[in-house]
Formats: sequence, C-alpha cells, structure tokens
Amino acid sequence: MSFKRFVNAIEVLALAAAITFAILLFANEPSESGNASTGAKVYAANCASCHGADGGGGTGPKLAGRVGRVYPDIEDQVAVVTKGRDGMPSFEGDLTAAQILDVVEYTRTDLGK
Amino acid sequence: MAAPAVTHRGLSRQAKLLLILVVGAAVSVALGVYADSHTPTGERPYTLFFSDTIHLKVWFATAAVSLAVVQVLLGLRLYDKVHVPRTAPPWLGDAHRLIGTLVFVITLPVAYQCLWALGFQSADTRVLVHSLAGCFFYGVFAVKVLTVRARGLPGWVLPVAGGTVFVALVTIFVTSSVWFFTSRPAGIPLF
Repeated sequence: MSFKRFVNAIEVLALAAAITFAILLFANEPSESGNASTGAKVYAANCASCHGADGGGGTGPKLAGRVGRVYPDIEDQVAVVTKGRDGMPSFEGDLTAAQILDVVEYTRTDLGK
Repeated sequence: MAAPAVTHRGLSRQAKLLLILVVGAAVSVALGVYADSHTPTGERPYTLFFSDTIHLKVWFATAAVSLAVVQVLLGLRLYDKVHVPRTAPPWLGDAHRLIGTLVFVITLPVAYQCLWALGFQSADTRVLVHSLAGCFFYGVFAVKVLTVRARGLPGWVLPVAGGTVFVALVTIFVTSSVWFFTSRPAGIPLF
C-alpha cells in the first residue's frame, strides 16, 4: 500500500470516528426526569444522615411528602442540592449532575412510601 | 468593477468561500448549542491507562498541540517558507494530511468528555474562553478541510484557515492543559 493510500484510509477512519463521536453525544443523553431507584442509593449514602432514612427529618428538614410542595419546580430543588443553601451543603463536587437529578427525583416520588 | 471570478463549477470564489464559512459556523454553533442545552453528566467515562480522565485529557491535548506544531512546520515547508530539508520530499503533502488527521482524532475523546460531561461553561474567563475556543476549533477545522477540497479559492485562504486552526488549538491547550499543569501543587501528573 502506498503512503498516499494509507493516509486516505486514515482519513476515512477519522471521518468514521467523527460520525461516531456525534452519535455518542446524543445516544448517551441522560434522562431528563432522573432515575428514582438510583436516587435511592444516592440518598442513603449522602442525605439520610441529615434528612432521615425515611425522609422524616433530623438535623435537616423533613422531605417525605413535603418537598414537592416546597419546590413545585424541580429545577429549584436541583439548584439547592447542587449549590447548597443555609445549612444545606453543596453537592456539586461530590455528586454528578445525573446523580443529583436522580436523588431529587427519588425525594419527590418514592421517599417515605 | 471587476466581475467576480467564476470557477468551472459555476460558483464564484466569493460564493464558494462564503458557503464554506457558513458550514464552519454551523459546526461551531451546533456544538455550542449542544454543550449549552445538554445536561452535563459530570461523569468521567474513560481513563484508558491514565489514573483519571482529566489526566488523559491534558496529555491528549498536549499530544495534539505537539503534532500541530509539526503540522505547521510541514505546512511552512510546503509553502516554501522554510527550506529544511533543502529538497522537499514527495511525501511531504501526505505527511501533512496524516498529521492533521491524527490531531483531529486525538482531540475527539477530549472533546467528547468536555461536551458530554461538562457542557458549555462560563464560570470564569478561562473557562469561557476554553468553551468558546473548543466550539470554534471544530468549525474552523471544517473550514480548513473544505478549503483543501475546494478548487479555485484564493491562495491565501488555506494558510489562513490552517493558521486559525492552530491558534484555536493552542488557545484550548493554554486554557486547559497549561492551566492544569501550572495550578497543581503536586506538579505535572505523568499518568
């Protein structure tokens, strides 16, 4: 194989890599709503010590059955978990955005049930 | 007023150049829109043989810039701006293409983690410049590739496009790898 043909083949592979790159960007898009079952594990490991294993409260406020009314817009709750507020620490460096979405989804749906 | 130069395919030089620039701009804008609208996962999807994804990224970016420097030198030789070697070997153009392609491929896993896990960020000037340069790089790279394939464009277009690709890549490198290497108390990570 001549050098020119080799370079042509590499260019074709690079084009394929670029197409794969674009496809993967969209194929791995995280769910917009979060995954409550994954969120339960995140909650147990990061939130239960303050908010209680059943979300009934402790050093942190009660969440179960209440958090959806306090934060009608889920984005507001995601912001509090992400950035922290008052005595609530920021989880921005400890949890991924997807994990925060999962745990927020869990507190709004399955927590305490 | 002189009539616009018309190429053999019917498009004027200006129209062809404009079309190429529009495609490049579309690539940059598309990446920016994706990075801004996509929910960043914050995940570190791969490390290969590095101890962390960030180490992979800074070293891949370093490799890309190093190859890009070679690429610029080869380009200068192709345009007879440097005279080493004295006689240009016949494979010089293909070597230039190969290295440019490798630079592009090396940047892909870095860009994927940036776009997918981090998204477009503007927390401070460095991060904003890095985000903008990252999107701009692929747009101007598209311009460069299309310029190589197009016929009848003014002679200055290709070196300007190539030089702009290089500047964009160096900007990305300075705002990421160089920052990472110089801001770490522990020094430069080997892996």
